[in-house]
Amino acid sequence: MNDDEILDELRDRIVEGISEEALDFIHKAIDANIDPIQILNEAIIRGAEEVGMKYEKGEYFLADMLLAADSINDCMDVIKPKLKEEKHKSPGKVLIGTPEGDLHDIGKSLVIALLQGQGFEVVDLGVDVPPEKFVEVAKKENPDIIGISGLLTVTISKMTETVTMLKRKGVKAKIVVGGGILSEESCKHIGADAWTKDGWKGVKLIKNLMEVN
Amino acid sequence: MPHDWEASRRRIGATIAGGVGIDRVPYFPIVCEEIICRISGKTFRELLSSPKIYGNAAIMTYEFLKADSLAIPTAYAGPAEALAFAEANNKEDVIKWSDYKVFMAKQGAICKTEEDIEKLEIPDHSKISLWDTCISAVDFVREKTRYPQACALGIWSVVQELRGVQAYRDMRKNPDILLQLCEKVYQSQMDIYNLFTERVGPSPTIFFTGYAFNKHMMSFDDAMKYEGQFIKRLQNETKAKIMLHNCGTSPYFDEVCDNLDVFAINGSHPLDIEYWVGFKERHPDITIVGANFDVSRELFSGTPLDVEEKVKENITHLASGGRYAVGPICCLPWGVSLNNIMAIPKAIKKWGTYPLQTL
Repeated sequence: MNDDEILDELRDRIVEGISEEALDFIHKAIDANIDPIQILNEAIIRGAEEVGMKYEKGEYFLADMLLAADSINDCMDVIKPKLKEEKHKSPGKVLIGTPEGDLHDIGKSLVIALLQGQGFEVVDLGVDVPPEKFVEVAKKENPDIIGISGLLTVTISKMTETVTMLKRKGVKAKIVVGGGILSEESCKHIGADAWTKDGWKGVKLIKNLMEVN
Repeated sequence: MPHDWEASRRRIGATIAGGVGIDRVPYFPIVCEEIICRISGKTFRELLSSPKIYGNAAIMTYEFLKADSLAIPTAYAGPAEALAFAEANNKEDVIKWSDYKVFMAKQGAICKTEEDIEKLEIPDHSKISLWDTCISAVDFVREKTRYPQACALGIWSVVQELRGVQAYRDMRKNPDILLQLCEKVYQSQMDIYNLFTERVGPSPTIFFTGYAFNKHMMSFDDAMKYEGQFIKRLQNETKAKIMLHNCGTSPYFDEVCDNLDVFAINGSHPLDIEYWVGFKERHPDITIVGANFDVSRELFSGTPLDVEEKVKENITHLASGGRYAVGPICCLPWGVSLNNIMAIPKAIKKWGTYPLQTL
């Protein structure tokens, strides 16, 4: 198998969401001395994009996205130390959590995996995060983007509170809110910089905000 | 003037029947616990302290809103079912309580492992204090207002509470274990239905939260496998009529109406009013509750006039011949101004009194 074939196989396994086989191929890629940055760009990132496109076309659903995201995560665990050795620069740091009162984390889990698959550094605050905690960790981690993901209409108020506090406390990161409940109007009301309804669009949005191709 | 619940009952009945004898378009909001807390001034735990307190607070709220619907929101297949399963399986610590809204369960914590699913005990709702209070509150409301109460059930909404994100992995990796969980949730729903029947009386209609029927989440085949087939079973067993609720942004409403026997659908997407006009033509016997009126838009960030315009748009396009009720989707959230909320009944009175004003 030549390098291109190994990378193609790895990408395909990621798209199919078969973690065990994806891991086999990433180890093969490392054993074949393929540049880790090339593995990231040509197999992992492209695989994630293909998964996103299938979702947009209605060929993939949440279950398929999650399994692909799991494969990406597993591969990233293997390749991250190599990327550090190569001094690979992450395209950005994203701090993410669900607002206080919202314990739903399906959207957040998906976005985290897909962002990691695109090489982003992600700080996961978990669920039910009070505004003060967002501020505290944002000050410590200095992220480029803060993502607030929620499912319930009742959490729009808490998103507003969180965004207001982040801005008041001088946090400069761009703020993206995500969830099926949101709209252009509610995004404006909340005071966020951008909004998204689904995980894959959220990843594309963050890449655009970060000017990552 | 005191609220006339008998008139509300007739209004809802007439619109479902196709508008014969209907005086105006009904108003069917989804009132969650936090609005009841807000209007009644009581904490959520206070509401749960007795069926009478909860029942009276609910009646007061719906009357304040000038609604034609009336329900006890906690008695549905969402967080309260998670609590019932948590109690039945000694996992109460996964429930987080709040002062002015419903408690929530940590998603996926009750059925973290496959063994948890296999050993999952189905709750006896009559022995769960919260359910005992809520069903008694439903009966109190029915008794006091003579307004018929509907049982509220669901499968996927509960599965997500119990299994969390793992449910979607199971869908591809271990569908059998997922179906086993769906089956247990179904048995639990039947337990609620039976308790409801025993305490409140038969529920000829069921408000069913069909969260699986969302194109973002799963294929229609999977939605039928993990929810639709259970709706069919439920109907076979209960003979009840189903109103299907889905507050997602890409619901399978057409497919649902083609494949399941529902009398009404409750949702707010797609937002294109022309879709709903077409839906009414394609499914003339189905009552639409909602259409393109979503709480996160005009209600949240518009003015009372914007809200009135939205209500007018829906009524003028959809209410001719009945089978349409105004209903913003989903729950009226905490942050919505009361001026905006109260613009809804005002607009219904203005634009929704039959005979309707033409476009």
